[in-house]
Amino acid sequence: MYAGSIVAYTSNADGYMPRTVDLLQGTLDLLILKTLSWGPAHGYAVARWIETLTGEVLRVGEGSLYPALHRLEERDWVESSWQISSTKRRTKVYRLTPKGRQQLKTETGTWSQFVDAVAKVLKTEERPL
Amino acid sequence: MSERWLRWFQPSRRDPKRDVDDEIQFHLEARISDLVARGARPEDARRQALHEFGDADVVRADTVRIDERIIRRDRRADWISEFIRDARVGLRSLLRTPAYTITTVLCAALGIGVTGAIVSASYSILVRPLPYPRDEQLVTIYADNPGRGYKNVNISWPDFIAWRDRNQTFSGIGIFTWNSNTVSGGSGDAERVTGSEISPNLFAILDVRPAIGRLFLQNEDERGRAPVVLISHRLWLRRFGGDSALVGRTINLDGRAHTVVGVMSPGFNFPQSGDVWVPFKTDPALESHANRGYAGAIGRIKPGVTVEQARADLHRVDAQLAREFPNENDGWQAGVLTMRDDLVGELRRPLQVFLVAVAMVLLTVCANLANLMLARGAARGREVAIRAALGASRGRIARQLMTESIVTAVLGGVIGVGIAWWGVRLLRFAFPDQSPPFYVKLGLDALAIGFIVLITLVTGILFGSVPALRTARANLDATLREGSRGAGTGLHRSRLRAALVVSEIALSVVLMVGAALLARSYKNLAGSDLGFDERHVLSARITLPSSDYATRAEVANFYQRLLTDLRRLPGVVAVGSAQGIPFSGWNVQGEATVEGAPAPKRGEELVAHYQRVTPDYFKAIGVPLVRGRWFTDADRDSLNPVIIVNELMVAKAFGGRDPIGKRMGGSGSPHAATVIGVIKDFRHYRLPEPMGPAMYYPYASYPGWQQTVVIRTSHDHPQSVIPELRTAVRAIDKRVALYQVQTFGEVVSRSFWRQRLQGNVVSVFAVLALCLACIGLYGVISYAVAQRTRELGVRIALGASRGRVVWLVGRQSARLVLAGVAVGLLASYFAVGLLSSLLYGVRPTDPGTFALVPAILAVVAFLAAVIPAARAARVDPIIAMRSE
Repeated sequence: MYAGSIVAYTSNADGYMPRTVDLLQGTLDLLILKTLSWGPAHGYAVARWIETLTGEVLRVGEGSLYPALHRLEERDWVESSWQISSTKRRTKVYRLTPKGRQQLKTETGTWSQFVDAVAKVLKTEERPL
Repeated sequence: MSERWLRWFQPSRRDPKRDVDDEIQFHLEARISDLVARGARPEDARRQALHEFGDADVVRADTVRIDERIIRRDRRADWISEFIRDARVGLRSLLRTPAYTITTVLCAALGIGVTGAIVSASYSILVRPLPYPRDEQLVTIYADNPGRGYKNVNISWPDFIAWRDRNQTFSGIGIFTWNSNTVSGGSGDAERVTGSEISPNLFAILDVRPAIGRLFLQNEDERGRAPVVLISHRLWLRRFGGDSALVGRTINLDGRAHTVVGVMSPGFNFPQSGDVWVPFKTDPALESHANRGYAGAIGRIKPGVTVEQARADLHRVDAQLAREFPNENDGWQAGVLTMRDDLVGELRRPLQVFLVAVAMVLLTVCANLANLMLARGAARGREVAIRAALGASRGRIARQLMTESIVTAVLGGVIGVGIAWWGVRLLRFAFPDQSPPFYVKLGLDALAIGFIVLITLVTGILFGSVPALRTARANLDATLREGSRGAGTGLHRSRLRAALVVSEIALSVVLMVGAALLARSYKNLAGSDLGFDERHVLSARITLPSSDYATRAEVANFYQRLLTDLRRLPGVVAVGSAQGIPFSGWNVQGEATVEGAPAPKRGEELVAHYQRVTPDYFKAIGVPLVRGRWFTDADRDSLNPVIIVNELMVAKAFGGRDPIGKRMGGSGSPHAATVIGVIKDFRHYRLPEPMGPAMYYPYASYPGWQQTVVIRTSHDHPQSVIPELRTAVRAIDKRVALYQVQTFGEVVSRSFWRQRLQGNVVSVFAVLALCLACIGLYGVISYAVAQRTRELGVRIALGASRGRVVWLVGRQSARLVLAGVAVGLLASYFAVGLLSSLLYGVRPTDPGTFALVPAILAVVAFLAAVIPAARAARVDPIIAMRSE
């Protein structure tokens, strides 16, 4: 399996330094499903949306997007079709399937729980008894 | 979903490598143009885009791999969903024609079922390992004397010792005798159980272990050791309640206490069923080299040694023995058989015949199904043509038709499994005593079911492919035009169907010839003049415990009293006893000499069956006296014994001259005996073994402990005297066990079981094939009549008589039948060679059979053809012509 990695750009004294952070496989899948929930898009658009929305803080290592998309397709969470772009190029457009939409809902719930749980720990000042 | 459909219809356009390349290319170009639009220089934009993307080669490889997986999965899913769709369509169209469907499904079921049953039985008997580890190393050793025509004779003790101690190729050789013992104590009456005396190493050679306790120790066969016994799991449960404390305790065997040293595992049997085993004890000094005939031997060959090498090794020992003991061992050699051959060898040929026969039945089934399919295809020519015209490809139509035939085969296969299951159960009853021996596990296991699935698919594809291709390839244009005229003549197709019918008839002729020959063999065997009369006779075996009956006088008293008591019972005509009755396997033979005759040359000695019988024995089994007199109770002199001989003895030893008063030496007595009577020959040995010379001594001259009592009654059901027989024995001595109580008729009929099985199985196949051929013939002729309805109508309208019309149709069937019979008889002529060793009293090329079979076939085929012919004759010309 292709490791879903996200490159996070963080600032420090030396300026921008790329640092690869291995994230859970599901995280990239979740981001892709979410972007596709607004409507069909090709891979490049998905990459730009993720970049824009994360304020360029989280930036997809763009190549890794494609194995992820195809794997989602293999699981029938997204489906694809070939279209001709405005620049007269053959482009592959992905679309969320009902199964994928369901998956997004489940994953979002799981993610929120995860975030809440981690946040709760981080916000706690005192050591629990 | 819709996408996937599109993909299916454009399968050639899916090229994952190109797709992924395009996708990545698009991404990079879009990124570059974005960056350029934001003011970057094209080279920088390109560098940045590539950098952001990462290793494009890795991405490409990974993505392509995923895509290829998706394609493979989709193809599979499409294929399956298409098959399901075709199957559904096929099933619907099959349901529309129930007569066709029932016929085809039943045909397929029969073919698949009988094939499954026979193949599974053959596997169980010929291939499945014997219940001993590494059974391929186990051999049974007999004594053979090829020069004198002896084969598979039991062995002598000194020969066994020589083989055991001088061989270089065996890891062990053990000896055993067949035995039976009376067990008393535990729960229930005294009972007779079978078992054997075994050398202590024998079970270790078989590589079996007891469930509880131990096997015999090295020296437990020595004389004077305390008696020990191993018992079967079965006996342990039945008689001793599965008490594990039994080991180490004693049980009563033949009146003597024996210490139980072990209980064998459940399901262990030796040599046949067997419940008790004791060490083989003998006094080596008393055992002569020539005393063959009382023990069997089993050896385990060392790993890596072949049976041939082991045989050659023992023959080397035999050559030494022949030099050391020229009188006893000259000409004798070890006969080494694999244990499997020894146990099931006689079933090998019949099973081969069954396999060939069942293959022919399956072929007939396939031909018949193909035939029915073709007829159906012809009837559906228009439907197919229309579908083709609407754009269905030929491959697609062929696949649809093929699926239909596979659906039929699968339905047939399901029923076929049921038939096979039932057939295997039926085969169980074919064995003597309705149960196969322990080393044959009959049953439908996963392997057999797997095989049935396989033949089901092969059948479906075999009978489906020809019609499917033919129908799909049919000339669309012609069919549609023909269709507009009603029915097509389809000359080509009817020629193929005719060929199929001819081959069906030919196959059934071959099977019928085989069945007729085997049935005649059985009839010859069962109907042959046995020389005795087994009707109304009951037989039972008795062994007196030597602990209670120490002397021969006591033994004689017991039997004297028993026979007298039995003679007094109402409905009893004659009572006698012998050491072994005909067909019981008591085939003891020994050398015989005539006093005053020149000594025979070595290798030409006179060998005769001998045993001791009571005065009324011959009357009880219904054998008449030819000359001289019967034994009387007074004939008890063991120093000057008298004997009765059979006619074969008179012919062989006396050249046909009157033997009364002549004196003979024989193995039944150390003293010369005077011939006092001659009986008519009767078959003592099991058929088909021929009878030889025989000499009978009076029982009273040398009474033995073990006897078979025969009671001739005036009842049609001699079993009815069994209770009185038991009472009579118990009245004299409660501890004496009565066993093998059966009618003489049962003994005789059981001995023909293999021949009966052969005749029955092949006859069933032949009838099956005949029915199939008739269905095929009927189908072809009705189809032809249906096709010619118009023509026949015209003929009738023009004045042809009904008889003339029947003749026209009949001629067509006659041609097919004649061709089939001719091919079939020719094939039979070559095929019967396979049978020759199974036949009895009939030649493989028996002219009667070769004439009878075509006659039967002609009659049946006539019936199959007469219905459509009659239909043709009833054709109303007006309707026939208007129907166009």
